[in-house]
Amino acid sequence: MSRVLIVEDEQHIADGLRYNLEAEGHDAIIAADGERALALVLEERRPFDVVILDVMLPGKNGFTVASELRAAGQFVPILILTARGRAEDVLKGFEAGADDYLPKPFELSILIARVNGLLRRRRWNEQDPPPAESPVDVFTFAGRTLDFGAMEVRASGKSYRLTVMECELLRFLVKKAGQPVSRRAILEEVWGLDEGTDTRAIDNFVVRLRRYIEDRPAAPKFLQTVRGVGYRFVPQP
Amino acid sequence: MTRRQKAITFFVALCVLLVAAAVSLNIGWILITARQATPLVLGIISFALIIAGLIVYTVFLVLEIKRNEDHDTFINAVTHELKTPIASMRLYLQTLQSRDVDDKRRREFYDIMLADADRLHHTVEQVLKAGAVAQKTRSLARAPVDMGALTRECVQLALTRHHLDADAIAIQAHDGHPLVVGGDPEELRTVISNLLDNAVKYSGEAVRVTVSVAAPAPDTVWVRVEDRGVGIPRKQLKRIFKRFYRVQARGLRQIKGTGLGLYIVRSIARAHGGRVFAHSEGEGRGATFTLELPRLAS
Repeated sequence: MSRVLIVEDEQHIADGLRYNLEAEGHDAIIAADGERALALVLEERRPFDVVILDVMLPGKNGFTVASELRAAGQFVPILILTARGRAEDVLKGFEAGADDYLPKPFELSILIARVNGLLRRRRWNEQDPPPAESPVDVFTFAGRTLDFGAMEVRASGKSYRLTVMECELLRFLVKKAGQPVSRRAILEEVWGLDEGTDTRAIDNFVVRLRRYIEDRPAAPKFLQTVRGVGYRFVPQP
Repeated sequence: MTRRQKAITFFVALCVLLVAAAVSLNIGWILITARQATPLVLGIISFALIIAGLIVYTVFLVLEIKRNEDHDTFINAVTHELKTPIASMRLYLQTLQSRDVDDKRRREFYDIMLADADRLHHTVEQVLKAGAVAQKTRSLARAPVDMGALTRECVQLALTRHHLDADAIAIQAHDGHPLVVGGDPEELRTVISNLLDNAVKYSGEAVRVTVSVAAPAPDTVWVRVEDRGVGIPRKQLKRIFKRFYRVQARGLRQIKGTGLGLYIVRSIARAHGGRVFAHSEGEGRGATFTLELPRLAS
């Protein structure tokens, strides 16, 4: 049985979600505000497998909760639910460390599918070695290892955990290695956003990725900026 | 600092610089034309006009930026207030559609969806009402309204709507003659309901609200709603009646609303020849709202 934490101050929505998650065979717990959610995740002995996080909460909002969880070394998958479906808000959620998002009002079947997707990924990560059907998903370059299966970067003796979004962005850049990739392509193909979006949010992601893989993030060798276009990943500069 | 605060700082700084430049030019002009009366006087007047213009311009700009900010907060709040009940209703409808829900749960779900529909209706009403009261040339239906009876009715409604015990809202009624005012009973009901809703919403867990109807003078009627909730910082006591404005205080937990309720209250009170004012000892010490209306001579 998986444990799901629902962080939602609207009681009707929280109860409805709990009913459905329990019907799916999960164990669901409700936290009505951000402080309580943080306390539950960080102090509870039994860990949660997924957190469903609303953005507009009393006190600390969802973005703050997500980034505080990540800062405290908690990498439980987070699905953000938000009434503010603007692309900027979505990207802000990913920056804060969310793994997935759904705008409100949401489709129940899609929500359940997304939660199950996050749970599946979590199970893969916990199984060691990975199950036979999941392909070995590792890319190595210049002494650095991008382990997409374990969602980890290992470089110069250190390892960094990646959020799903960081993972997806790295995978996309690796797939297009050597070619310049536009910010718009990243928005559309990695995040599935196609509205007129402020593309600067991507730059913040890239800054983070550079910290993981570059010796000198300020003078990047592998993850280069292509002026007027976007970025290029060069495994052998 | 938000982008708007930065913009405000920038424009205020620019204004100070320009005023300083104008003042030094003015001093220069005075020194140069010290002995010629006409250019001296004309110069001083035009410089004074330029300086005054700069200041007025900056003040308007800053006010406009602030209004814009309130408007954004409003859009966010209304988006949330509209989307949340819809999201909830859809969630329950899809649940009923896709799962075998037992009878007891099914009835529970219907109640929840009804409550969501009411909430949606309330938000839509507030927005429409705010639009209606903003029109200056509207005609008001005037009929004699007994404020005591109307208040009791509103209190009953509020108790039901917020699922409160009967003693959560106490009424101190006026004995003697009924206190009658001339006005539109629907609008006056909106005023009292909005005040009661606020008192409950800002009370937190323990709701203890006192409502009194009184005649402080022979020709006026007061309806007073007093709560022991989060209170209002003194500086904001007047601004809370502005459209879209919502109380800002450190430590105040986000309470949902559109920022229209008190604006509607004030507009209706004024249209009835009355007024509304707030009193609070400060944060955490409750608030009292008084609606003052002219009494109809019997």
